Order: sequence, then structure tokens, then C-alpha cells
Amino acid sequence: MLAPAAFLALMVVAPARADDPTQWLARVAQAARQHNYIGTIVYQRGNRVETSRIIHLNQGGKEYEKLLSLDGPAREVVRSQGEVRFYYPDAKFVRVEPRTFRNAFPSLSPEQQKSLKEYYDFKIVAGERVGGVAADIVVFEPKDGLRYGHRFWSDATTGLLLKARVVNERGEVVEQFAFTDIQINAKVDKAMVEPSWPAVPPDWTVKELSAGDVAPHDTGWAVTRVPPGFTKIMEGFRKLRGRQNPVAHLVFSDGLVAISVFVEPFASAPAPTGMQSVQGGLNIYSVKQDDSLVTVMGEAPGATVRQIGNSVARR
Amino acid sequence: MNENISRLMDGELELGELDGVCAGLKRPDAMATWTCYHVIGETLRGTPTLAAGYAERFAVRLAAEPTVLAPRPRPASGAATWIFAAAATVAAVTVVGWTAMSVLGDTPTAVAKAGEASAVNAARVRPSAVPADFLLAHQEYSPAAAIQGVGPYLRAVGTQVTDEPAERP
Repeated sequence: MLAPAAFLALMVVAPARADDPTQWLARVAQAARQHNYIGTIVYQRGNRVETSRIIHLNQGGKEYEKLLSLDGPAREVVRSQGEVRFYYPDAKFVRVEPRTFRNAFPSLSPEQQKSLKEYYDFKIVAGERVGGVAADIVVFEPKDGLRYGHRFWSDATTGLLLKARVVNERGEVVEQFAFTDIQINAKVDKAMVEPSWPAVPPDWTVKELSAGDVAPHDTGWAVTRVPPGFTKIMEGFRKLRGRQNPVAHLVFSDGLVAISVFVEPFASAPAPTGMQSVQGGLNIYSVKQDDSLVTVMGEAPGATVRQIGNSVARR
Repeated sequence: MNENISRLMDGELELGELDGVCAGLKRPDAMATWTCYHVIGETLRGTPTLAAGYAERFAVRLAAEPTVLAPRPRPASGAATWIFAAAATVAAVTVVGWTAMSVLGDTPTAVAKAGEASAVNAARVRPSAVPADFLLAHQEYSPAAAIQGVGPYLRAVGTQVTDEPAERP
């Protein structure tokens, strides 16, 4: 029989807070935007490990962020409001992107919320410390082999994500990152999130990227064998810089991850096909269908991405 | 000679030419060409390059392996044959490794040039280049990316710049 004090302690350790997966995701996404923090983050994919310094500032609702790689070439990613700049001093190269994601946590459709509950076992397990901070451990365990398992460690107080791990069906780590130290609600001033190169040196190459606007539209393309649990959340044409023809873009999601399908005329895309590649937890597959090139990418196992790619057909 | 080395690698030499070409490989410049072609081939196929000093480390570890001298009592299956074949392959690798290393010590520039040439070719045929604009368009729909905050940036920092896709017309 537990003493009353111990019983009370147990209740405090396992609070009912955010026991719904959708609410939990929204809370963590919100925390990532809201708080000022400085930390060291270790990122691992396959057998590669990289360490970076991260500084995040929210100043009156405006977000700034600087990521500095600590090993290898001194690369930087600087986010300022609506723009992200990637500095590669080793290659004298800068990439500029509009910030398209994290403007807001994508609100989940009713189908996505249903999939989250039906295709993953969601549970909050006993906490542990990450980077010196007490964290809740949240597990999304897949109920089939079509998706990866996800495990998140979030700060018990603010909800800030401290560690994330993606595992495949054999339980092997596909990709993970973790703070080794973090100061949450640290004092951060604007100078700390400025790029090391206020002006791009004249001999560097600058490349601007744009995801293009997408207008919801019937593209004439369909995926005939959508893996169970995934529903289409977007379909439209995207006008991308440097491409003459608009690219058809279809997105499928199971509430936790998304898989994108891009279809473009094959003639304008002289890329090899039938190829599969992996970037951390992201699988990419491209295949030729009639006179079109289909490129599929998503945070799902290779077989899931391939199944979608191989079943793209004209409606 | 270079063309013969290339044909040797592709298995196109006539039986009668084989001895002469193999004898020619004893010359350091011919050996450097042989190594150079292999570096190019392996890079094009995406085989990871061996770290410097691999041959020495391999030889040391191989030397440290216990040698089984006792004869096997009558193998029950084809396993023994496989083991002997594997041992022979290991020995061949060691010999080639040592030869290559001793030659390479003298001709670093030739190998560096081979590396350069193969890197250029590999960039052109590399299948893994992800269209960065596709990646960008995809990310805004991924709930996992939204909660990971810096996650997608971490991938970008770790990515080789040579992975940058070429502009498509």
C-alpha cells in the first residue's frame, strides 16, 4: 500500500496534460516558436553524427534563429522572420529560402486526427532527463510496417522538444537529434542571431529558392494504391522557379508525417529514374510514368514511398 | 597500355594478351593508372572511398587473426570450399592493397587528379540529388517537421554542397 504522499507524487509525475496526440503536437510546435533558448544539439543519421549550436529568439512575436555547425566546415543557417539563409563558407555558397513551414503548425484535418489514433499507439511514458532538463517521453508506436516509429522528449515545463528519434521496423535508429545542453528562456539579444557575414562576399554564389505558390486544383493525377492511414490533404499545381511547366503536387498524410508526390513532364526533367535515396528520415523515390517524371518524398519507410510512386496514374 | 588496362578491367582482353598486360602492371605508372581507373569507377558507382591507411590497418588486423593449422576432418558440405575461396580473396586483396599503397606513395598527384575527375563525373550522374525546391514545398505539410523546429535545418547543414541539385531547364 502506497503512502498518501507517494501516491500523490505518482499522480504529479503522470499528469493528464495533452493526452490527445493532436493537442500534444500543437503544444510542442507552439513551444518551439515561443521561447528563447540557447543550446547544443547533436544530430545523428545513419553512422554520421554532427553537432550544432542553436540560438532562438522571439522578439515581440517576431522569430529569429541561428544554427551554427560546430564540426566540419563552419556552416550557418540564419532564419529571420520570413526568410532562411544557408551559408556554406567551404563552398562559398549561400542559399536563400522563404520560410514556408513553421509559420504555423498545420492544423490537422479530421481524417488526419483519426489516422493518428488508429495507426499509432500514442502514449506518454515515464520521463527522463535530456540536456540536464526533466522531459516527458512521448511515443508514437506504429501499428503496421508502413510508417516509422517516433519518440519525442519534451520539456516537462514548457513543452519544448529536447530530443526526437525516428526508428524503423527493426527498431534501428533512422535519425535522431538531442540537446546536450540547453538554457530555456535564456537572455538572447538580436546580435546573437545575426549571420557571421552581414553582406555576402562578392565571390560567393547566391541561389534563391522558391517553393512557388500552389493553387488547389484537380491535377488529373491520382495515386491508385494509397497506403492505409494516409489521406490526401492537398492537390494543386506549383509554379517553380526555373521550370517552364507547373509541377503537379499531391500531399498525403497520416497526421504525423507527410508524403509529397510531384509530377512534371519528363522532357523538362532529365533526371535518372527508378532511383531511391535517403536523407536522414526522409525517403525519396523517382520513377518515370509514361511521359512524366514522378518524384515522391516523405518521412516514411522506403517501401511506403515506393508504393505511392509506383501507383501514380492519370485519373 | 592505358587502353589495355581499361579492357582488362572490363574483362575484354583476349587470353593471349593477358600475361603481357599483367606483366606491364608491375611498372609504377601503369599501377597508378589501374588505381586511378578503379577510383573513378568506384566513385561513379557510389562505393565509399577507403580511408587513408586502410591497407596497413587491414594487414595489421589480418596478421593478428589466429591461423588455424589443424586440417579439417572431411567437410560435410561445400562450406569448406567457400572458406578457402574467401581466404584466397582476402590474400589477393592484401597483395593488391600493399602494391597499390607502395606505388601511391610516390604519385600522390596522379591520385588526387583521379579523385578530382571522378568527383566531377559523379556530380553529373549522382542520382541522390534531391530537388531543393521540392523539399521546401514538401516541408510545409509535414507535422513532424513543424514540431522538430530546427530538424530540417540540421539536415541541410550536414548535407554536402555537391548534393545541391543542378538547375533544371
